[in-house]
Amino acid sequence: MYGGDEVSAIVVDLGSYSCKAGYAGEDAPKAVFPSAVGSIDQMEVDSEAKPEKESDSAQDPKSSAKPPDNDKSKAKRKLYVGTQALDYRRDHMEVISPFKDGVVVDWDMVDNIWNHAFRQRLLIDPTEHPMLLAESSINTAHQREKAAEIMFENYKVPALFLAKNAVLTSFASGRSTSLVVDSGGGSTVVAAVHDGYVLQKAVVTSPIGGELLTDCMMKSLESKGIVIKPRYSFKKKEISPGDYKIVDLDFPNTTESYRLFCTRAIAGDIKESVSRVPDSAYDEVSYANVPMTSYELPDGQTIEIGADRFKIPDILFNPSLALTIPGVEGFPDPASVRGLPQMVLESINKSDVDIRRELFSSILLAGGTSSVQQLKERLEKELMEEAPQAARVKVLASGNAIERRFRFRNLDETTRVFIRIMGPED
Amino acid sequence: MANSASGFGVDDDCKLKFIELKAKRSFRYIIFKIADMQVVVEKLGQPEENYDDFAANLPADECRYAVYDFDFITNDNCQKSKIFFISWSPDTAKIRSKMVYASSKDRFRRELDGIQVELQATDPSEMSMDVIKGRVY
Repeated sequence: MYGGDEVSAIVVDLGSYSCKAGYAGEDAPKAVFPSAVGSIDQMEVDSEAKPEKESDSAQDPKSSAKPPDNDKSKAKRKLYVGTQALDYRRDHMEVISPFKDGVVVDWDMVDNIWNHAFRQRLLIDPTEHPMLLAESSINTAHQREKAAEIMFENYKVPALFLAKNAVLTSFASGRSTSLVVDSGGGSTVVAAVHDGYVLQKAVVTSPIGGELLTDCMMKSLESKGIVIKPRYSFKKKEISPGDYKIVDLDFPNTTESYRLFCTRAIAGDIKESVSRVPDSAYDEVSYANVPMTSYELPDGQTIEIGADRFKIPDILFNPSLALTIPGVEGFPDPASVRGLPQMVLESINKSDVDIRRELFSSILLAGGTSSVQQLKERLEKELMEEAPQAARVKVLASGNAIERRFRFRNLDETTRVFIRIMGPED
Repeated sequence: MANSASGFGVDDDCKLKFIELKAKRSFRYIIFKIADMQVVVEKLGQPEENYDDFAANLPADECRYAVYDFDFITNDNCQKSKIFFISWSPDTAKIRSKMVYASSKDRFRRELDGIQVELQATDPSEMSMDVIKGRVY
């Protein structure tokens, strides 16, 4: 057993959309902030322009890795991490993400994100706490190695364990065998878990996640002539009590990626507020006359959303629908991307025959995108139609939406022993 | 390596009682729980008790492991029995306990030699008589 004082383990789950961090044994994460990072290239901006405390400390791990030089060359870019840092508009700040196709490509950024989580949000000393990292089911050995390297060398954590997302989800619902459908921001991963292990051969992924749906929502609104104004681009003036006037502000140095980031945040909220998965496959004709739902944008204009409420989430089930939305780019070849039910079936069929029945009866939903209304019912219905006669299909979503959204890993006791002390000396 | 061992021990009594259930058939069921960092026997069911008595003894909002010795008559009129292992983790249980039970299950199950069918249940419908019957044949 892990002896000594009661030091609680820290759990960090770095997702493609948001990073969740907190103490093991609690019901919800202490800190949740975007995984995207603001970056200002120091070549363009005078380095003394913004002497900010938070970014200084964020540079520490990086500077230790490079030979000591003068300030300018060691800080090639300044990174801004966290909700507040991103809410504030800065000239020339680009918003970038450490992820590409669901895997980390920029470890320096990840380092900064972890640093922010430990020192600015949780306010802990990472050298004192065992660490549990939740990792994607498709992580490669190289990725694990890199994560361990940074944790041990930069943060000097006493103990570290990397656990697969799908296994944690499965355990959190009290099952050691299940099929986990994890639909997150950047991708959807279906993985079979048996006796606490992910069956690597049965992992099925698709690039359809919440962010793609947000993009579709945004493009669809734009095609209808609705302009979403990011909050920084205007000022509200109260001309008489309760009556506001919008004054547009102009910031020519705002980067395109920052504008997009802010617009996406609004489109994402619209999506979360109004979407609902249709009971059966979407078609233009029968949804042409659905009642509209109104949504008030930050600048006060009210928009009406009709068929899109159903059409956007249906992309999860029928990916080719995305192509009918004008202006959606970067969409992967629809022939290679399947809908959720097909992914589930494929994953089950790749698993061992003996456990298929059990997998059918414990399909777990996880990830933010899976909390769209009616998704569980629709998935269950479509699977019943496709599944073998003998199988009982049961789709389970965790009780409340917040829990589902953050799907927080609650380990505590378990964690302590889960953690094998891997020496930092290797 | 074969377990995602959570480090919980198994009380020897669990094994002994299970062997009694298996060999002497002196119990109908055994309910186990995790207490003080190990799996211990919580309740022993007498042979004359039935499945409903057993189901009634599983708490509605806490996790448990259970072993049930199911008697049935096959299609060829043959009296048989099968030993079921059930991991009971209701939706309303604390996540922490669900985690602990799920991650310790594999290891604990291995201690009990002679289990024929394994079930996971999160609500009573998943371990109803129909399901049990469906699994024996």
